[in-house]
Amino acid sequence: MKNVSWRNLPTYQKGEHLKMKWCKSIQNLVAFFSVSLVSALAYAQPQPESGYNLPRDVSLDGHRIDWLINITMVFCIILFVIMCIWMLWAIFLHGKNHKADYDTGDSKHHILIACTISALIFFVVDGNLFYNSVVDLNEAFWNFEKAEGPDAVQIEVNGRQWVWDARYKGADGKFNTADDIVTRNDIRVPINTPIGMQLTSVDVIHSFFLPNLRVKSDAIPGDVNRIWFQATDTGDFEIVCVQHCGAAHYKMRGILTIMPENEYKAWHDEASRRAKLAFDPEDKSAQWGWAWEEL
Amino acid sequence: MSHTAEESFISKYVFSVDHKVIAKQYMITGLLMAIVGGLLAGVFRTQLAWPDEPVFGLGIMAPHVYNAMVTMHGTIMVFWVAMPVLVAGFGNLLVPLMVGADDMAFPRLNMTSYWVFFLSTIVLIISFFVPGGAAAGGWTSYPPLSNSIEASGVNWGVNLWVLAVALEFVAFLLGGINIITTGINMRVPGMSMWDLPLFVWETVIASIVFLLSVGPLIGGAVMILLDRNFGTGFYDPIQGGDPLLFQHLFWFFGHPEVYVILLPALGILGEVLCANSRKTLYGYKMIVWSVIVAGILSFVVWAHHQFVSGIDPRLAFPFSLMTILISVPFAVHLFAFIATVWRGSIRFNTAMLFACGFVALFLIGGVTGIMNGTAAIDIYIHDTYFVVAHFHYTLVPITFIATFAGIYHWFPKLFGSLMNETLGKIHFLGTFVFLNLTFLPQFNLGMMGHHRRIANPTAFDFLSTSDALFLQELSTIGTYGLLLAQIPFVFNFFSSMFRGEKAERNPWQATTLEWNTESPPGHGNFDAPQKAYRGPYVYSPEGVSVDFLPQFEPPQDGE
Repeated sequence: MKNVSWRNLPTYQKGEHLKMKWCKSIQNLVAFFSVSLVSALAYAQPQPESGYNLPRDVSLDGHRIDWLINITMVFCIILFVIMCIWMLWAIFLHGKNHKADYDTGDSKHHILIACTISALIFFVVDGNLFYNSVVDLNEAFWNFEKAEGPDAVQIEVNGRQWVWDARYKGADGKFNTADDIVTRNDIRVPINTPIGMQLTSVDVIHSFFLPNLRVKSDAIPGDVNRIWFQATDTGDFEIVCVQHCGAAHYKMRGILTIMPENEYKAWHDEASRRAKLAFDPEDKSAQWGWAWEEL
Repeated sequence: MSHTAEESFISKYVFSVDHKVIAKQYMITGLLMAIVGGLLAGVFRTQLAWPDEPVFGLGIMAPHVYNAMVTMHGTIMVFWVAMPVLVAGFGNLLVPLMVGADDMAFPRLNMTSYWVFFLSTIVLIISFFVPGGAAAGGWTSYPPLSNSIEASGVNWGVNLWVLAVALEFVAFLLGGINIITTGINMRVPGMSMWDLPLFVWETVIASIVFLLSVGPLIGGAVMILLDRNFGTGFYDPIQGGDPLLFQHLFWFFGHPEVYVILLPALGILGEVLCANSRKTLYGYKMIVWSVIVAGILSFVVWAHHQFVSGIDPRLAFPFSLMTILISVPFAVHLFAFIATVWRGSIRFNTAMLFACGFVALFLIGGVTGIMNGTAAIDIYIHDTYFVVAHFHYTLVPITFIATFAGIYHWFPKLFGSLMNETLGKIHFLGTFVFLNLTFLPQFNLGMMGHHRRIANPTAFDFLSTSDALFLQELSTIGTYGLLLAQIPFVFNFFSSMFRGEKAERNPWQATTLEWNTESPPGHGNFDAPQKAYRGPYVYSPEGVSVDFLPQFEPPQDGE
């Protein structure tokens, strides 16, 4: 399948990066460090497709995670720089010839200062992080009710070595019936629609990850996990298995195609019609679906 | 107390009950395994940087070989390097010396501990060469991958892996009991618990944490063996089992394990920083209490490894909070360490450089830890290189930087001589620079969404960009540099051992009891029964003419 969203990149060819010129390396090195610094300090917007930052976000709620990552990165860098300056100051301030102070740091005064600094950092940095994390998960990422309504699209995903199988309800609105659409490494979803997914696996643990949509969940044998997202842009995006799942784990890859709503509907109706024609009740291995698990 | 009775070579150097010999055995075995683990990293990093080229001209690396290498690298570095060198090696060497004992509480148990560990090492090495190859399911060895021969393609490799890990834990259980008993019960007269050097406190707490956490993992490992070989179904959902059970058992041990190796490293740091800045440890009691708190908290953070496994939010949020909370005791440590150095009289020897380097590197590991511990951020960065970079920024400083600081500092008590300072400084510079070159790019790779444990990133378009490939190359070049930077150390280690400048008893003018022995200490350690007269870190006291007052020095005028 042609991967549309990456087409603007120079095509990668085997061994090409080996021939990368030295000046290109220096350029890259400078770019890497400056981008790391600038992006962290100014929390620059994620760049499209390429660059050293987060991949382009095409989801309704992904900006929450990006914001949290960026703001925490800024806090972390500030904390790190302060501590390093303090330490460098401490070790270069006085050499061998200075008579060291005698300071056990056990006085109430000292303990008070230490506790205050620790508490301040804890409540500002960690408090912000934890509070926003809980809010984001409750409102967005783990708020699965959002993808339960009649407007939402529901998909069952089954991981196996080393394929993502997906199953859609057909025209009858039920899973595991003759008109289910079953695809392989190819998941299509409409734009601006809540997409609910239930994930499982038949062999080992896999993990379903959509980098551009900031969602991830393990697919575990004997268990059904959920994710939901809503896409805000069309295009093709890669589906990644992030849990080590055996020899060919490195190429367990699928494509998520985000389509305009009318195109999706046309595809869905046609695929469901064809699925019904091609349905073979004897082929038990194709009937891996389950009744959608209600919340 | 010194015994001079003639001993045969075997009883003196091989089946020795002397804690110092056992410490050296543990350390040397651990450092040899570090070479194996490091070379594995060199090989698979080559594969990652130039995935379609033959590795070192030997041929294209098969993905299952790559998986086995990554698995064994992780296993070796955590269980066969960090544990034997830091806990067993330094613990054995220093705990009896620091409390003024002539040996461990149970010397024969100690010897047994090493030889069981040695056996486990042999089993692990054999597992590379059995049909089907070594374990390839990741160092966490999650079932069903690890307990299914069909899914993983590995048969005996995993059985031997589990056996080796179980044997090793038996060894460290014996060693841990010894360290706890020695540290608490064999203190010399006059040494209260609040006079114990920080290293003893940290190692004793680490051993207690280890003893309390290791049980569930052994249970979990035995269930893998039963599932694999006797057809049980503890982790098989079809037979009513649950694959997630192992993750809980593994991380109930696995996360405290991180603190088991971190605490002795922090102990080493405390000793080195105090001696070389001529200052007393800042907030000794505060640090000890924070160690105890960290030890307790370490038992209630494990599920932060499972935020994307479909965990119930009611479980996720408390674990997330606890994980963020556990950063506080370690922040206290780092504050206290810098405050210790503050307004001191700084001596930049190699041990001190490594100790300061540790603080900077561990800070990076620490601050990125709270990002991983936050459930919302973890949804994105879980199982990516961000996590890899994070735990290497904690574990490499712990396992190597702190170990190097300790080896340069206590080399006189190991081999009776001083290590070469010039080579030491070259070693520090190379290690520090290349360590960052190796792992800093991996944070960016993680940000790009680059996932772990993949043999060939070019299977994905978004990982085939020139930026991503460039970062992988950068990291690999860093790895080569990091490995080459260890050559001066290996050379220094052996040349100083045999031809190094002879060390006097107390070359660093340090205050703890181990510096009141000959370098190296003879059998039985001390010339005369010891007594402790004061706390462990009386450097630059006021009102006295001397620069430092060791614990073993009788009270002075004006004190």
